[in-house]
Amino acid sequence: MTLPAFEYREPETLEEAVGLLRDGGDEARVIGGGTALVVMLRARLLRPRLLVGLGRIPGLGDVRGNGDLRVAALATHREIERSPEVRRHAPLLAEACRRVGSPTIRNMGTLGGNLAYGEAASDPAPALLALGARVTVVGPAGARTLPLDGFFRDFYETALGPAEILTAVHVPPAPAAARSTFVKYTCLSEEERALVSVAAVVVPGPDGTWSEIRIGLGGVAPTPVRAHGAEAILGGERPTDGRLREAAARAAADVSPLGDRQGSAEYRRAMTEVWVRRALETLRAE
Amino acid sequence: MTGTALPSTALSVWVNDRLHEMEVPAHWTLLQLLTDALGLGGTKDGCGQGVCGACTALVDGQPVRACLFLAVRARDRRVTTVEGLRANGTLHRLQQAFVDEGAVQCGFCTPGMLLAGAALLAETPHPTEEDVREALVGNLCRCTGYARIVRAVLAAAGPAGVGAP
Repeated sequence: MTLPAFEYREPETLEEAVGLLRDGGDEARVIGGGTALVVMLRARLLRPRLLVGLGRIPGLGDVRGNGDLRVAALATHREIERSPEVRRHAPLLAEACRRVGSPTIRNMGTLGGNLAYGEAASDPAPALLALGARVTVVGPAGARTLPLDGFFRDFYETALGPAEILTAVHVPPAPAAARSTFVKYTCLSEEERALVSVAAVVVPGPDGTWSEIRIGLGGVAPTPVRAHGAEAILGGERPTDGRLREAAARAAADVSPLGDRQGSAEYRRAMTEVWVRRALETLRAE
Repeated sequence: MTGTALPSTALSVWVNDRLHEMEVPAHWTLLQLLTDALGLGGTKDGCGQGVCGACTALVDGQPVRACLFLAVRARDRRVTTVEGLRANGTLHRLQQAFVDEGAVQCGFCTPGMLLAGAALLAETPHPTEEDVREALVGNLCRCTGYARIVRAVLAAAGPAGVGAP
């Protein structure tokens, strides 16, 4: 089926792009790789008059690894999974991007698009939550940088305001002792969205206790979420079997899953407990 | 119909090593450009949602979903379809391997499989079976059970350490 007609512009500066979005109002949309937006256009879920492509704006696809890792919005999942800077600085992000869809989808889909879309079962989002990432957005009032924890507001809703564009993701350096893991569970085929995904980062101390724990979850709430309750149970403690079980149970109790064709809300909650526990056991065994 | 003009864009794009200069409606997909405008029927219209892989084409050597890829984004880029795999009247070695291994049944998924497989071999001349399965994970085949397709890609690669034919 063909797409509904729209106008397409590729501005050469961010300012110009913001201006087009501001003038276009609700009828203008940013397009990144198109893997989400074009599906919605074909289903007539959106009828924009104008699509704004960002491909001609210099630097929007860069990945830079000095100090903070900075991944610009148009970097594709495939580029990120293969980037030496990402693999050195934030292997958790590379691993999560490697689990997005299929290689062909990863060649198209961009990190900025993934986050701005606000998909609850995003793979990179829980990893970036666990990494303590921040995002930069540019809009009519200029640029602002905000923590990713808080960026996701509700079902497909983000903190992006009118005519704002997500331009970059920043990942702070991890302590040398930090450990991380990413697991994605789906009961359909490999390239499907996660039924539940778990990204976790911990820093084990010399005395065996864990600190700086961050756990990101995908697919088990209207948005990607942090498991703050589970993190608090683990903080400053040794990762005994009992602690890990208690933290996993807390994570499952705190989520607010929606049921769909992959699994009921109840099943997603049960799987949250299982996969959080397994992720934590993996971190303990490293 | 009203007389509303559809916004369109002048585009130059290389398809199978031929330069095309054309006027393309902004809402056309690469799939429409290939099949409707250029008459290249090898790129298949399957699910229209980026799931099945039947519309796989290469853009600058990388596999994409032509059903999700806006045609205007192919500006000044090099697109390869299954029609472009053959060179000088000879099948690409991967096409020949599909024939030899019996990796084709109804054929609908075959162009997408060939392009995803060719892109893999271009980057990884001697892939493992796992590499092949990962490269083809987004290409659905409802006939073959995949075993012969995977075998064909491995056969086209030849054993590690041996130069590609």
